[in-house]
Amino acid sequence: MKQYKDLDPLLHSQLRLAIISLLMNTESAEFTFIREQTGASAGNLSIQITKLSEAGYIKVQKKFRGNYPQTLCMITRLGREKFENYVNNLKDYLSPDN
Amino acid sequence: MENNEKMMSSQESLNVISEMISRTKMNIQQGRFHLLLWGWLIVVCSLAEHLLFNLTSVENPWRVWLLTIPGVFVSLIYGFIKGSRQKVYTYSDRIYMWLWMAFLLTAIILFVFIGAENRMGTIGPFILMLAAFPTFLSGVIIKFRPLMLGGISMWIFSLVAYFAGPSIGPLAVPAAMITGYLIPAYMLKNNGF
Repeated sequence: MKQYKDLDPLLHSQLRLAIISLLMNTESAEFTFIREQTGASAGNLSIQITKLSEAGYIKVQKKFRGNYPQTLCMITRLGREKFENYVNNLKDYLSPDN
Repeated sequence: MENNEKMMSSQESLNVISEMISRTKMNIQQGRFHLLLWGWLIVVCSLAEHLLFNLTSVENPWRVWLLTIPGVFVSLIYGFIKGSRQKVYTYSDRIYMWLWMAFLLTAIILFVFIGAENRMGTIGPFILMLAAFPTFLSGVIIKFRPLMLGGISMWIFSLVAYFAGPSIGPLAVPAAMITGYLIPAYMLKNNGF
């Protein structure tokens, strides 16, 4: 009988999965861009970004553009590996016969 | 997307992933600006050189190409300003930018070589052949066939520029700019990029 691996609980949440998916295809993305694309509130997004950052899945860089603060998010190698594992495990759930 | 701890089904997870990945498209508007700038600049320079050579007794008509030097600065400043305002930077953006920077450096070295041999009047076919390379690959990166075809047309026009002789050859450069840069650039806007 096929063994199903547990899906990474950190990624198996709608907003955190959306954040990581956005970052997979980008070198860096601003906090405001992620907020626009996910439609999340700034507070909630900030909490989820902190969780991903503390787990080492993403890196957060705070900079200034002119006089305005800018928060940049980047996926780490660990985050990329975890996302790939998540997708592979997801495939097992989606096509149980394979 | 507020209920972030909601349990998702596998299909819902997949939908989130594919939707988010589709939202990180490369920003092609910068590329379009450069295609228009260089397309028009080179059309003007090459036609001006052709007319000066055939209709006047101006010495060294190739000097009109010096207009491309401010063009380089306009491109670099525009790219720097737009790049620093960009909210998201994709891997395609990075490859696209460095592809054109590599072309710029190679073109400058080619200018030095040809200039050292005092054969600036013959540079057209070589620059066209070289510029076809990033044009074609840019089309591949953004998956836009007119730009790929534009690159191929520039390779063909580089052969025309080299072999067609002094009466037709110089007109191959503006023709290549129209098919290689300008038509794809105007089509990019109409295709919603």
